[in-house]
Amino acid sequence: MVFGPQNHCLYPIILVNNTMDIIEDDEQLGETSEQDSELSDGELQDAFAKGLLKPGLNFTTQEPKKIVNNVEGLKQCLADFRKNTLPWIERLDMVNLPADDIVAKSEGRLDNKASEDINPDDDFQREMFFYRQAQEAVLEAMPRLLKLKIATKRPEDYFAEMAKSDQQMQKIRKKLITKQIMMEKSEKAKKLREQRKYGKKVQVEVIQKRQREKKAMMSSVKRYQKGMTDKLDFLEGDQKTAKGGAPAKGGAPAKGGAGKGSGGQTPDKKAMNKKGPNAKRKYKDQRFGFGGKKSGTKWNTKDSHNDVSGFRAKVAHGKGGKGGKGGKAGPGGRGPAKGGAKRLGKNARKKMKGRS
Amino acid sequence: MSALKRKRGGKGPGGKAKKVKLVENGNKPQTTEMEQNKEITVPPPVSMGKWRNKERVLVFSSRGINFRTRHLMQDLRTMMPHTKADTKMDRKDKLFVINEVCEIKNCNKCLFFEAKKKQDLYMWVANVPHGPSAKFLVQNVHTLAELKMTGNCLKGSRPLLSFDPQFDTEPHYALLKELFIQTFSTPQYHPRSQPFVDHVFTFTITDNRIWFRNYQIIEEDASMVEIGPRFVLNLIKIFQGSFGGPTLFENPHFESPNTHRRVIRMATASRLREKQMVKELQKLKRTENKEAVTRDVTDDVFATPAEERPVHIELEAPAAKVVKKNKHKAFKRQRKQNR
Repeated sequence: MVFGPQNHCLYPIILVNNTMDIIEDDEQLGETSEQDSELSDGELQDAFAKGLLKPGLNFTTQEPKKIVNNVEGLKQCLADFRKNTLPWIERLDMVNLPADDIVAKSEGRLDNKASEDINPDDDFQREMFFYRQAQEAVLEAMPRLLKLKIATKRPEDYFAEMAKSDQQMQKIRKKLITKQIMMEKSEKAKKLREQRKYGKKVQVEVIQKRQREKKAMMSSVKRYQKGMTDKLDFLEGDQKTAKGGAPAKGGAPAKGGAGKGSGGQTPDKKAMNKKGPNAKRKYKDQRFGFGGKKSGTKWNTKDSHNDVSGFRAKVAHGKGGKGGKGGKAGPGGRGPAKGGAKRLGKNARKKMKGRS
Repeated sequence: MSALKRKRGGKGPGGKAKKVKLVENGNKPQTTEMEQNKEITVPPPVSMGKWRNKERVLVFSSRGINFRTRHLMQDLRTMMPHTKADTKMDRKDKLFVINEVCEIKNCNKCLFFEAKKKQDLYMWVANVPHGPSAKFLVQNVHTLAELKMTGNCLKGSRPLLSFDPQFDTEPHYALLKELFIQTFSTPQYHPRSQPFVDHVFTFTITDNRIWFRNYQIIEEDASMVEIGPRFVLNLIKIFQGSFGGPTLFENPHFESPNTHRRVIRMATASRLREKQMVKELQKLKRTENKEAVTRDVTDDVFATPAEERPVHIELEAPAAKVVKKNKHKAFKRQRKQNR
């Protein structure tokens, strides 16, 4: 410890500058940077002589903090503190790993039993771990308690104060019920939304179907009126297929034309429905479809004359034994759209045209 | 705090009459009354004279605690019938005063809650006259009153204590385990206790902290529901004496809440500082003198090595081009003409 002249301070000071005034000012201000290092010049010189200090700028650093872990002391304290006279029944303590996780086992996951393995941020996993630990404790303790004749179930007529008042339990129950109701409501709302979407789809389909049918009916009526066909099979078809909506439809065209009907419209109507767009589509595909030479394919040669693959007996015979066209079909692939209703002759058509 | 205050006379064995207290919903233990030969007062449900393990825990706090801590203390007193309460301790007094308070109240364990800065809650668990004591930082406190804790148990029933196997591995954990057992387990035949065991306290060590949970045992097959309260204890230090004495153990993983807050603040501050620095650098770059480059470096990219052609200036308009629309037709006609 070196005391500089003219100072009355009791703390050791390093004199870094020789101007006494400044030092005194520093003292008065309470500057402590030199005072804290607690090493005087003399001491520094000694340390350097011994070789403890290396050349360069030296800082005084704090020692790394030592963490106390007095194992012996702990063990001693535990030995003193432990009450060995207490039987287990007074303490009721268990040490156990958590019980088997049934859910994880059924899913085939490896269940990690140690408490170090669980991720403390995963709330659900952590709480389940604690729950299973408690379960295991209970499962282990039950037989022991039974042996010592301590009951864990209270009898039905034993009324005593509970830790939570009845009011509190009512609140809890109410909250649970409201939660359940809310969940059910949301489920219902979801289902309703789904239904509405589905219902909308169905509605659109039904409307489209009706429009299609109406269109078909109108076109067939028109054709009859114009004299292109001479049968009113389309009326019958409606009556047979639509159960009880048909009379209105069937009545209207009956006013326009004679009430001729012939049987067997239904399958042909179905056939029409099947082949109608398909024939056109087929033709277009054939004409504009993919690949192949198109232009030179149709020639009236001997082979094409002898080729009867395009013959449709139903179409040719006009459905019901009409031998009008004989054994040969008309232009390949194209039959009359209305099954059985044939195209009238020129004079008949002229007459019909005049009529409408 | 329960409004109930039992008037206790001497603790003589046998024949000590206990007045029956009114339960909130009005259910009195009528049956026991009838059974006891029409006596006006009901003898205690547990036989006196068998209460040997005289553990008493003093549960109290310092000033400046918030409502959650207060409720937690109340809940602990509800759960553990062998506890006593005391008034709030002044912050000015040193901690060893607590030893004297405990002596006055004739308690041999103490649970002391200390609130600092109205934010941090510390808990002391101590064996009062000579024994060890431990200081914890309490976090994640949930009380009995929370509506998510749906379980319920008898008031004063004895708990089953369940510990993690990690408590047996380290000496400091072993000491803590002993401390917890002696503090939290209700003595058998305690006059305020119920003879049934219907709830479990679990202590688990995860993430270098001790997690406390309280479950109600519903069925014998160990289906359970949480009662509460629940909290997390972060060990700070273990002392050899009660509220003082040499330090036996210091937790290396403990980070004081102040340090934690400081770290967060510094992180945000450093991020801001970095942003500012980047901004300033950009400003500097923009304002610094840019030198005019006289020679374009990319000048010779389009320089093609070819000889120069002489410049030809056309003074007359060029001849109009013949527009050949239908080339082949013209050709054909021409062909025919030319034939």
